[in-house]
Amino acid sequence: MSATIEILPLAKKVKVRKKAFLSEALREADVPLSLYCQGRGVCGKCFIEVMDGKLPFFQPGEEELLKRAGLSPAHRLACQFVVESDLRLRIPERSLLGRVSVLEPAFEVQLSFDPVIKKYHVLLPRPEIATAEAELDILLQAIKSVPLRVALPVVQELPAVLNRSGRQVTAVVREGKELMTVEPGDTSAGVYGIAFDLGTTTLAAELVDLASGRTLGREARLNSQAAYGADVVSRISLAFEGPGRAAILRRAVLSDMNRIIRALAASAGLSPDLIQAVSVAGNTAMNHLLLGLPVDSLAVAPFNPVFSTLPDLPASELGLEIHPQGKVYIAPNIRSFVGGDTSAGLAASGFSEGRTTALYLDLGTNGEIVLRKGGKLWATSTAAGPAFEGMNISCGMLALPGAIYKVEADLNGFRCGTVDGAPAKGVCGTGLIDAASLSLERGLLTPQGQVTTASRTIPLTGSLALTQKDIRELQLAAGAVKAGIRMMLEANGLKAGDLEEVMIAGAFGSYLSVEHSIRLGLLPEVEPRLVRFLGNASLAGAKAFLVSFPSRKKAEETAAKIEHFSLASRPAFQEVFVSSLEFRTWK
Amino acid sequence: MIKQEFLDKMTAAVANGYPQEAEGLARQAVSQGDDLSTIIERGFVPGIRKAGELWEKGEYFLPELVSSAEAMKAAMTVLRPEMEKTASRSGTRGKIVIGTIEGDIHDIGKNLVTAMLAANGFEVHDLGANVQLQSFLDKALEVGADFIGLSALLTTTMIGQRRFMEMLRAKGLDKKFKVLVGGAPVTVRWAEEIGAAGYAENAVSAAGLCRRLMGERT
Repeated sequence: MSATIEILPLAKKVKVRKKAFLSEALREADVPLSLYCQGRGVCGKCFIEVMDGKLPFFQPGEEELLKRAGLSPAHRLACQFVVESDLRLRIPERSLLGRVSVLEPAFEVQLSFDPVIKKYHVLLPRPEIATAEAELDILLQAIKSVPLRVALPVVQELPAVLNRSGRQVTAVVREGKELMTVEPGDTSAGVYGIAFDLGTTTLAAELVDLASGRTLGREARLNSQAAYGADVVSRISLAFEGPGRAAILRRAVLSDMNRIIRALAASAGLSPDLIQAVSVAGNTAMNHLLLGLPVDSLAVAPFNPVFSTLPDLPASELGLEIHPQGKVYIAPNIRSFVGGDTSAGLAASGFSEGRTTALYLDLGTNGEIVLRKGGKLWATSTAAGPAFEGMNISCGMLALPGAIYKVEADLNGFRCGTVDGAPAKGVCGTGLIDAASLSLERGLLTPQGQVTTASRTIPLTGSLALTQKDIRELQLAAGAVKAGIRMMLEANGLKAGDLEEVMIAGAFGSYLSVEHSIRLGLLPEVEPRLVRFLGNASLAGAKAFLVSFPSRKKAEETAAKIEHFSLASRPAFQEVFVSSLEFRTWK
Repeated sequence: MIKQEFLDKMTAAVANGYPQEAEGLARQAVSQGDDLSTIIERGFVPGIRKAGELWEKGEYFLPELVSSAEAMKAAMTVLRPEMEKTASRSGTRGKIVIGTIEGDIHDIGKNLVTAMLAANGFEVHDLGANVQLQSFLDKALEVGADFIGLSALLTTTMIGQRRFMEMLRAKGLDKKFKVLVGGAPVTVRWAEEIGAAGYAENAVSAAGLCRRLMGERT
């Protein structure tokens, strides 16, 4: 038994099995629906409007979510909707995942140019009867190299390649220790790598010319795994249900990566075969899922990962469509909740090398905090929840076109700046922080987080407003970060005033207002000039692992020596967390 | 006769979250030889209820709620031994064994529920975090609990709540205890699906839920 669903405004018609959940039917029809809470019916992000067809009864809590979203009674949550008959529906734009743009690194990586793959173009002398030297030895002498690891097919094909090319060849050497291939003629200009920032929400990538170190192109797309739940824990719990589920997640992200590879190669006019190295910086769950590793141990206490550091892996084994002998490097994991994205960021920013007392923050659903003091490093993670990504905020959204990312004081209220200057559709993390701070200054909000206006809301534009609950969510997110920083500083006998540098990586880019963050207490009170925004430090690190391969070893050493600072297991955490919920500056 | 004014002071001390003041008032009541159950029921308990109401209205948040619970605790620390001395057992509203389920170490939410239940007169046995399923049951049998509260803060550990229900049914003990589930990923629907007796979204509604399930009108 099947039913037909007509989907507006996408002008799609699909046949689905009756009794199927509408959200699953839409996913199969490639409709990029926002299923933030993994279809548990609690986030209220997947409302669809029923134009024709039977409207089901409300599920528990659904009506409340509908009211909160301010939608007409013809709307239902797709994830709670069991298809019984033919339907004609409209999917509001707010329920669709938007297009993403690349979040770029906001700094220049200061590392020596030493690419992971080097090409040597040489004309080999002919062997002489007197010495009768081996062909491989002649090649190694010509490229002035020590003995290298060589795969059998390379040696098998060597004589033919030499013959065909009149002994004019290009040797491809990886990390100065492996002869990957010997190509006929001069191909020394054509050596490329792709650096990936494998985010839970978005994937960003750069095509890098390894002969020059230049970036030739950038691409980004939403992580298709997002259709199975927005946050890391929901992905882990899905994978936890069985190997079949984990395989779905793995295929989803592999297909995203291969699409990016093809797109980058095409726009640079290259064949994907010319890409010989890939590096991937992602959080621990993301790299485990990509490699098809079990995530069970990430899912329950004591939350330990399967690996920290891995040698280069063959791309063909992993399923990435690049050069057949291409290799993939996975940025080392520090701990289960401080992953390769952080180790990459620490390597690229030089944070792990510095000597001053400094803080490195990556603020997302999971906030990573690294403290450096006297050359020693401590790392922790704090569960900020999704408020910074706008996800549990009534009018919240990711920093996509139309998101209010900046709020300024105006005579009559607020002046809002949106991404791409598009009409305001919602508010993202940085906009939320600005709005709360300005409201605090104007007395619309108490330091305890109580909204004092008559309407109990904080209007941002004609149609968008923050609710009391939104403010509570922000308090929880900011409080978790503040508590983490406070405890790290206190445990090391430091005060905010001792900090000589604060680096901020991640999705906030450089749009986070230091002034407002300090007023809310998200950041300690430091001189604004000490704060440096890194943008996508994870992507910068992934690139560093390609163009300066000794940085890999450094990142691995950092991951091994960094000390883990577990917040949740400290008895004081609860008290510090609760007292951090108040909006106020702190030192 | 206890003066209403005196009782109001107690209510205010708890509602405003002043532990020292609440403790002082409790001592004063003891030294005056006041009827302690009246002191509790008409003085301190209305204070914690008021804090709950303010929470529900969105005026109070976690810090205020924690202070009120601490004020209540301070008063009860003085009053409880006195009541036991006079053998007029304070009569708990019910007994609950509570903890964060195995595999999960997050326990702030559970601690708040513990504080609110205790403040509302329940006898709470908090087993902490990362608690084995069997330990919940053992403790519940040992103390003769009315409720078992299972907290799970991750979708991955939430599965343990279902396993606990299955374990109870397998042992034929599912009618003996009322199992309450909570935690960020938990929903009413989930509670119904696994056959739990109840779900509450936060510490304040958890206290209300337990009182309702004990047959009390709230």
